[in-house]
Amino acid sequence: MKKALLGLAAAAAVTALALSGCSDPGSSGSSGASQQWPAQNTNLKGTTLTIWAAENSNKTADSVISGFEKLTGAKVKVVTIPDPYEQGVETKVATGDKPDLAFWQPTASMLTTINAKTNLQSLAGAPWAANYTGNLGKMTGILDGTRYAALVTTPAVIGVYYNKDVFAKAGITSTPTNWNDLVADAKKLKGDGVDPFYDFGGGGSPWGTQWWVQAQLADAAKDGLWGRVNENKEKFTDPTILNAIKGYDNLINDGYFNDNIKTATFPDQGTALLGGKAAMALQVNSFFGELQATASTKELNDKIGFFPISPTGNIGTYIPDQSNALVAFKTGDTKREAAARQFLSYWLGQGYGKFVKDQSTVSLLKGTSTPSNVPTALKDVAASLDDSVGSMQALAVANPDLYLNLGDMIQGTKTPEQVAQTTQAQFAQLAKAQGVKGF
Amino acid sequence: MSILEITKPVPESAKRADHRTAGKRGGRNRDHPYWFLIPALVVLFVFFFLPTLYNFIYAFTDWSSFKSAINFVGLSNFSELLTNGSLLEDLRITLEYAIMVAFFQNLFGLLLALLLERDTRINRFARAAFFVPVVMSALAVGYIFQAMLKPEGVINGILGFLTGQHVTIAWLGSTTWTIVVVAVIHAWKWMGLSMLIYLAGLKTINEDLVEASRIDGANRWRTFWSIRWPLLAPAITFNVATALLGSMNGFDIVQATTAGGPGGTTELLNIFIFRTFGQGLFAQATTMSLMLFLMVAILAFPVIRFLRKREEVL
Repeated sequence: MKKALLGLAAAAAVTALALSGCSDPGSSGSSGASQQWPAQNTNLKGTTLTIWAAENSNKTADSVISGFEKLTGAKVKVVTIPDPYEQGVETKVATGDKPDLAFWQPTASMLTTINAKTNLQSLAGAPWAANYTGNLGKMTGILDGTRYAALVTTPAVIGVYYNKDVFAKAGITSTPTNWNDLVADAKKLKGDGVDPFYDFGGGGSPWGTQWWVQAQLADAAKDGLWGRVNENKEKFTDPTILNAIKGYDNLINDGYFNDNIKTATFPDQGTALLGGKAAMALQVNSFFGELQATASTKELNDKIGFFPISPTGNIGTYIPDQSNALVAFKTGDTKREAAARQFLSYWLGQGYGKFVKDQSTVSLLKGTSTPSNVPTALKDVAASLDDSVGSMQALAVANPDLYLNLGDMIQGTKTPEQVAQTTQAQFAQLAKAQGVKGF
Repeated sequence: MSILEITKPVPESAKRADHRTAGKRGGRNRDHPYWFLIPALVVLFVFFFLPTLYNFIYAFTDWSSFKSAINFVGLSNFSELLTNGSLLEDLRITLEYAIMVAFFQNLFGLLLALLLERDTRINRFARAAFFVPVVMSALAVGYIFQAMLKPEGVINGILGFLTGQHVTIAWLGSTTWTIVVVAVIHAWKWMGLSMLIYLAGLKTINEDLVEASRIDGANRWRTFWSIRWPLLAPAITFNVATALLGSMNGFDIVQATTAGGPGGTTELLNIFIFRTFGQGLFAQATTMSLMLFLMVAILAFPVIRFLRKREEVL
């Protein structure tokens, strides 16, 4: 009897221990308003920093890391989190596992998803923030007025990548200046026997589909569409967004896209555009990165051009992604937290010139020039940024799986109306979970 | 290799004798006090009961990645999910998938077992070969099949070679048939295990019965249907139950081959749960996994009961 009681007591103790842990394990950390920013060359011997990166961003920081390690004596370790990256990071952070720094999409919705106010260091007062060219300092990386992310490369812009040879062959001498022009050119190209547009619905993740809806919403976005959606005053099922979804569906049904749109995959898109089988692809920067992996800068400059597009003009839609920016976590270790800020200062300071050269990327900082080997299309993308308008990801409070629902539409398992309904339902669910007013 | 060398089981009479002697020795608890069980029970409690308990608790909260506080919200997660068509649709897909996997896995397993029944050297090697997929990583299996089933993949290449035509079937691109293809892949991976259990089942059948039926003039087909098939009932119970209920929890193979596509037609509930968790809606994801747990439990009892009933004819 005594022994049975002992066992019961032990079990009860374990239960009590476990239940006392019944709060979000990823919620520790102190709150800090304005931060101290250590000098870039402060000695960091014996400090090890960990950076989480995705499969397509785990080499981005290489030149910065080697320069920083030499200058400060710190050690910097890059850990690759397998795709899908965001889910992987989410899951780890939810269980209390945090790095010092991580690549992260610097949009308000994704900063909310990772609970920036609790988990991330405020980057307020960063010495480099005033140094951004154009609008970049205000455009992204900020949640409710506080900076949480450091932008290191140009945010992606949704726009049309086109094959210059195919355009020339069809007698198209100037790029379209509005949506109707775009469709008129597509009609001409279709008559010439090429696929005017190329998109991919296969391979499990048809993520390119959403650009077609978002580009059609550029003017509305300038007019405050996403603000109204955030307040639940306008819905995905209302005419503005629903018509953009229908517009995409109509283009597919009218045969402006590749025949194999249901099964084509992301790599197929690049091959088709480079090979001249398709004339245009509405895409973002990572698509061009895919092209760069298969063709030389010279070939790309000769063959591939870029123009932003919106219903009434050439307004691009910006969509920063995970490879564009870094966030610094509150780890509870003040020394490492300071070292992480110092690392960002170095990256966007002394290390930046070498970084843009090493990555052949457009410079975002005043006083650092863009290397000459950056392809023209990428320079055009960067140039379109200042006039561009925010995407759903950048301006809406939540990021529903619009692309998956559009993929279902391509496969014929959802109508445009059902796409709008499903997306709205998920958006409302996410907004409600965040405690957004009106949901 | 030893697991593949199936030996004849101990006769029932010998087993009974064994029990008797064990009974005489009796009182095992006399030399092993009950509290010796505590370490094992603690492990079981912490790693099994507690997570299950949390699965119940968190389903009634608003736990998410967006804020640190966790509040109870009653049944609102359940009511929201039940009004959401996606959940019911995914439950239906999961059930269809599980039934297909159970069917194919048992069909393949039984055919293999009958084919490799005799203990020859070649058969032993073949049994080991067919068992290899069982121990392979499910994700690896998925990715390999995904590559093979591409329109320009190996399978179409072979078909093209055989038919002399250019074959570009999108095996993973059909909103109707892809779920069958994926279920077959799942069944292929696990058929080795079913084979093993059917082999064991076949070995337990008394030779005398089969011989008697032969003397009575039954052909092989008749012997199989009238003698061996009914006597395989316990093996069928185990195989059907594990395949059906195990594949309800399927995730890895489908995630690697189709990720739920095309058009969401292979989106098992677990893939939806994964997606919801990734959105930061932890409580909703927990609620869904609780629903899956309940569905498996609700299904398990009648299925196992029915299968056990079949065994009673023995």
